Amino acid sequence: MTEDSQRNFRSVYYEKVGFRGVEEKKSLEILLKDDRLDIEKLCTFSQRFPLPSMYRALVWKVLLGILPPHHESHAQVMMYRKEQYCDVLHALHVVRFVSDATPQVEVYLRMYQLESGKLPRSPSFPLPEDEVFLAIAKAVEEMVEDSVDCYWIIRCFVNQLNNKYRESLPQLPKAFEQYLNLEDSRLLSHLKTCSALSRLPYDLWFKRCFAGCLPESSLQRVWDKVVSGSCKILVFVAVEILLTFKIKVMALNNAEKITKFLENIPQDSSDAIVSKAIDLWHKHCGTPVHSA
Amino acid sequence: MAQQANIGELLSMLDSPVLSVRDDVTAVFKENLSSDRGPMLVNTLVDYYLETNSQPVLHILTTLQEPHDKMDTDVIVLTTGVLVLITMLPMIPQSGKQHLHDFFDIFGRLSSWCLKKPGHVTEIYLVHLHASVYALFHRLYGMYPCNFVSFLRSHYSMKENLDTFEEVVRPMMEHVRIHPELVTGSKDHELDPRRWKRLETHDVVIECAKISLDPAEASYEDGDSISPQVSARFPHRAADVATSPYVDTQNSCGSATSTPYSSSRLTLLNTPGQPPQTLSPPSTRLLTEPPQATLWSPSMVCGMTTPPTSPGNVPPDLSHPYSKVFGTAAGGKGTPLGTPATSPPPAPLCHSDDYVHISLQQATVPAPKKEEKTDSARPCLHRQHHLPNDRGLEELPGLKGSVTLSDLPGFLGDLASDEDSVEKDKEEAAISKELSEITTADTEPLVPRGGFDSPFYPDSLPGCPRKTHSATSGPQGTSVNPEPFNSSLDKRGPDTPKQAFTPIDLPCGGTHESPAGDRERQTSLETNILTPSPCKIPPQRGVGFGSGQPPPYDHLFEVALPKTAHHFVSKKTKELLKKAKGNTEEDYPPSTSPAEVLDRLIQQGADAHSKELSRLSLPSKSVDWTHFGGSPPSDEIRTLRNQLLLLHNQLLYERFKRQQHALRNRRLLRKVIKAAALEEHNAAMKDQLKLQEKDIQIWKVSLQKEQARYSQLQDQRDTMVTQLHSQIRQLQHDREEFYNQSQELQTKLEDCRNMIAELRLELKKANSKVCHTELLLSQVSQKLSNSESVQQQMEFLNRQLLVLGEVNELYLEQLQSKHSDTTKEVEMMKAACRKELEKNRSHVLQQNQRLDTSQKRILELESHLAKKDHLLLEQKKYLEDVKVQARGQLQAAESRYEAQKRITQVFELEILDLYGRLEKDGLLKKLEEEKAEAAEAAEERLACCKDGCSDSVTDHHEEASGHNGETKPPRPGGARGSSGSRGGGGGSSGGSSSELSTPEKPPNQRAGLFSSRWETTVGEPATSIPTTVGSLPSSKSFLGMKARELFRNKSESQCDEDSVTISSLSETLKTELGKDLGVEAKTPPTLDGPHPTSPNPDSVGQLHIMDYNETHHEHSEG
Repeated sequence: MTEDSQRNFRSVYYEKVGFRGVEEKKSLEILLKDDRLDIEKLCTFSQRFPLPSMYRALVWKVLLGILPPHHESHAQVMMYRKEQYCDVLHALHVVRFVSDATPQVEVYLRMYQLESGKLPRSPSFPLPEDEVFLAIAKAVEEMVEDSVDCYWIIRCFVNQLNNKYRESLPQLPKAFEQYLNLEDSRLLSHLKTCSALSRLPYDLWFKRCFAGCLPESSLQRVWDKVVSGSCKILVFVAVEILLTFKIKVMALNNAEKITKFLENIPQDSSDAIVSKAIDLWHKHCGTPVHSA
Repeated sequence: MAQQANIGELLSMLDSPVLSVRDDVTAVFKENLSSDRGPMLVNTLVDYYLETNSQPVLHILTTLQEPHDKMDTDVIVLTTGVLVLITMLPMIPQSGKQHLHDFFDIFGRLSSWCLKKPGHVTEIYLVHLHASVYALFHRLYGMYPCNFVSFLRSHYSMKENLDTFEEVVRPMMEHVRIHPELVTGSKDHELDPRRWKRLETHDVVIECAKISLDPAEASYEDGDSISPQVSARFPHRAADVATSPYVDTQNSCGSATSTPYSSSRLTLLNTPGQPPQTLSPPSTRLLTEPPQATLWSPSMVCGMTTPPTSPGNVPPDLSHPYSKVFGTAAGGKGTPLGTPATSPPPAPLCHSDDYVHISLQQATVPAPKKEEKTDSARPCLHRQHHLPNDRGLEELPGLKGSVTLSDLPGFLGDLASDEDSVEKDKEEAAISKELSEITTADTEPLVPRGGFDSPFYPDSLPGCPRKTHSATSGPQGTSVNPEPFNSSLDKRGPDTPKQAFTPIDLPCGGTHESPAGDRERQTSLETNILTPSPCKIPPQRGVGFGSGQPPPYDHLFEVALPKTAHHFVSKKTKELLKKAKGNTEEDYPPSTSPAEVLDRLIQQGADAHSKELSRLSLPSKSVDWTHFGGSPPSDEIRTLRNQLLLLHNQLLYERFKRQQHALRNRRLLRKVIKAAALEEHNAAMKDQLKLQEKDIQIWKVSLQKEQARYSQLQDQRDTMVTQLHSQIRQLQHDREEFYNQSQELQTKLEDCRNMIAELRLELKKANSKVCHTELLLSQVSQKLSNSESVQQQMEFLNRQLLVLGEVNELYLEQLQSKHSDTTKEVEMMKAACRKELEKNRSHVLQQNQRLDTSQKRILELESHLAKKDHLLLEQKKYLEDVKVQARGQLQAAESRYEAQKRITQVFELEILDLYGRLEKDGLLKKLEEEKAEAAEAAEERLACCKDGCSDSVTDHHEEASGHNGETKPPRPGGARGSSGSRGGGGGSSGGSSSELSTPEKPPNQRAGLFSSRWETTVGEPATSIPTTVGSLPSSKSFLGMKARELFRNKSESQCDEDSVTISSLSETLKTELGKDLGVEAKTPPTLDGPHPTSPNPDSVGQLHIMDYNETHHEHSEG
């Protein structure tokens, strides 16, 4: 309650009249001021509000476990991380898996492979499963400047996808169908009639988490939610993409064309799509309750 | 007649609704008119128009062409025309202006005609003509002065017209004053419609009269000459309209146009010797009228009580005939006060000679007539007058057909006279008889006439009521002289209506009387009744006058102008009756017009005159007649008749003027009434003013009174005020005194209060003192009581002391007596026991106290404990926190370690790969040899290896300190690399470390080990190791490590003393190294194969457990 009292008492009304994010930065700062960061609160916050970009990296790192909740150890842990990064990178250089000419994304991939013990015997072309990593890595690279942070975020994000969401990710297409039915049954039926439902770019959407589908500026808002523990947002983004381009999709009768179109959706309306998707998500799954 | 009938048909067809028929008939008429130059058709058309007001006929008439509007030289016609024109002019000032020059031309021609006398015009007619031209002159000059003057200027500037101007026009001009318009107006302005719009017909007439200097014509603002008569009739305005024609015409005829038949005849009848008497009727009237006028006279009201006397006083011997003539004429009636009756007659009498000559030219009829009558010495002249008349009369029938509309009245009269003359012969005898009777009566009845006249007026006959007046006068007249009475009655008839008699009433009275008076005319009455005339008057007339005469007139009248005359007459009478507003009380039929009556009257008068003339044995006439053949001279009669006709015209003209005057009179009257009303109003206002003034005075008086009272009251008030003021002053004085007193008293009071306060203070003090003393007293008493009680106690104690002393003595005695008594011991024991008990008790107390304190202490301690617990919890929390923190760090480190592990794996793989390549080169044998060599070399190298190991150990230690107790994996690798390189050859160096670690092991075993490991690494790099777990189980386990530690310690201790086996040493070295490495990074055990992989899954857990221990070890070691 002390936190609340520190906050602007008008914040409630700001939200009521539709001004979002007025007090979010402040409240986030309050949250981040805590020693021993409350991960749960941060999760809730991240799910509920868009993260300010200046704190996004920090929050992500905390949420992804790159940084411990204690501020004291941040520097030390970060040093560890950096050293680890350097060591791995060095090792890769030593074993001549990477060179200076190697693209950063591939470097990340190799590092990840090394760390996960999946480094192939010889540097070869990336496998399809590596494509997911590469896409994500590419997206994160755009979002985060520091390469150490970038690598760690990629690594942990991918790990989270592989571990935490291993069960739920395959369920997402079903959920997508369900929510699309709720939102626009006609569209769904159209997809079904086109037999495009099964051929929608689920990999792009759910495995890659829209990396490469949405521009990074929009994508990071989606990933805020993913990082903070909700992969369901992906479903709503997908639904919203379909709703937004409904007319075009309805106009297309061919499943391939639909898939092709959806894989290369126009980027200009992505922000709106994401905003709507978040609203839709809040609508269907309820706004995460602020535990504070 | 057939032609006439034809024309009648055509005329009726003219009004047919069919347009074509009408056009045809019109064309026929026009053709006829152009072909036929006779007046017949035109006359018929005129008749028809008068009858039907048919528009087509009017159209035809208006488009008549030259031959029909022929030049008429007949004086009668001309005169009539001129008069009509004069009458019309004021009515059509605007529309007539385009014919203005025609009018002027007419004037010019007629004036020259007057002078030149073309043809055989009788001079008597010329007189008429002249008069009418004179009137025209007045009219034109009055209406269009500028135009007219300019016309005169232009017309008479011509030499041929100069004579006319000198003779005719100039005398006329002397009778007009300068017209104001000549000064202010212009030719155009005269013709301006706006000028005429403001003026009505009578206004125009009066305007014209105003500029006239002719007393007869002149009309000064108030109409002096006419007003007396008019004013005399004002009281009976209603009757006036009807009656005025008679009187006016009579008067005007008598005065202005010399009334040849009425007044002049009267004078003739009255004999020349009695002119005053003949003139007396008007004069008497004038005399008698004023009394009436005094009752209500507009002229008096208007402030015009005295009419101008100058015209009346014109000397009779004035050089100019006109003035004389008119002067006398005006004198007859113009002078209001008696004297004129006598004064005018001398003029004609005296200057008759001069007159005659001039009168012939100037057409002053009365004078010649009078002279004719008075001066019998010149009958020739008269005859000359008559003769042309007769001639003119003879011509009359010829003219009948061409009589114009305007001439009709005159013509009518003409005809009447004409008819009269036809039948005159028969009745002449009777008429002459009557006339002779009249004349005979005339001689004496001068006085009766005055009395005859007087009865009309209240002054002369006050006793007689007016209505019955005529009746009463009738008998009177009849008794004296019925004939003149009748005639006079007829003449005065119009006057009588003033007394509410209708003009027609009198004739009736006359008729009633006349039968009474003259039985002789009973016969003629019958014939009268038979007359076809619709009017009742003609018969009555007939009764009054000649019995047979009127019927023929009427008959002829009907015959000659059957319709025209009738229409005209009836129209006129109707108009007049309308104007009369039904003043006829007896409701006579409208046909009995006064005009007609007058016409007839004049005609009859003419008849009477002619008869009288024939009867009279006047020398001149008789001589003449006898001279011309005995029979009555028809010429003269004709002349007379023509004159009569002219006279009638004149009469009509005058009547018109009179009507205009009447209109004006009415207007003036209205003004007068208004003025009177205003005057009355004024008077009333004055009265009111007076009353108000009176009121004001009364108010003033009362005001003064009130003022006096007011001043009195003021005085009283003043005195009162002064008194009150003095009282007030006194009272104020008193008040001040009282005030002072009160102040004194207040000061006293204040003093008293102070005193009281002081006293109270004192009282308080006293009280306190008292209290204090009381307290002291009580204390003292207490002390006293205390002391008393103390004394008592003292006494008591003293007594006790005494008692005790006694007891003491007693005890002492007893003591002495009983020395070794046991009871005493017991008592002592008891006392001791008690004391002990006491002691114990206090001890218990002490114990209790201690208990309490200890309990408190316990509580304190408990709280402390709680605090401690709390602290502990906090500590725990903190610890947890720290743990978490550490865990975080540890996780990071672990991940690092993982990574490191992965890296080493990779490296190992790489190395193995490299090895694999080397081995693949088929140098296995060599390898074995080398191995042997290597064994030797290893033995050789032991020494150096020792150093190197120690070096490496120190290096490790240094690095550990530098890396915070952590070692980097590359180091050993690097060392290995170096050792490898030192060992010479890649292969030997690669295996050096393993060799180092297992120096005692047979190469086979090692080779197998390597091979197996290779295989495993090739197949499953991480999981294949456990097969070799058994080889060195103790080295990895905790116990083993401990054992090694112990061993190492031993070996260390023994190190210097006995050079134990190299193997053992090397083992220790190896273990130490391994321990170090194993503890720190666990990488060295991998060298052993089974170790690194087997604990891998639960390494974290182990680490967790060992955390503190290891650190402890490190610390202990460090």
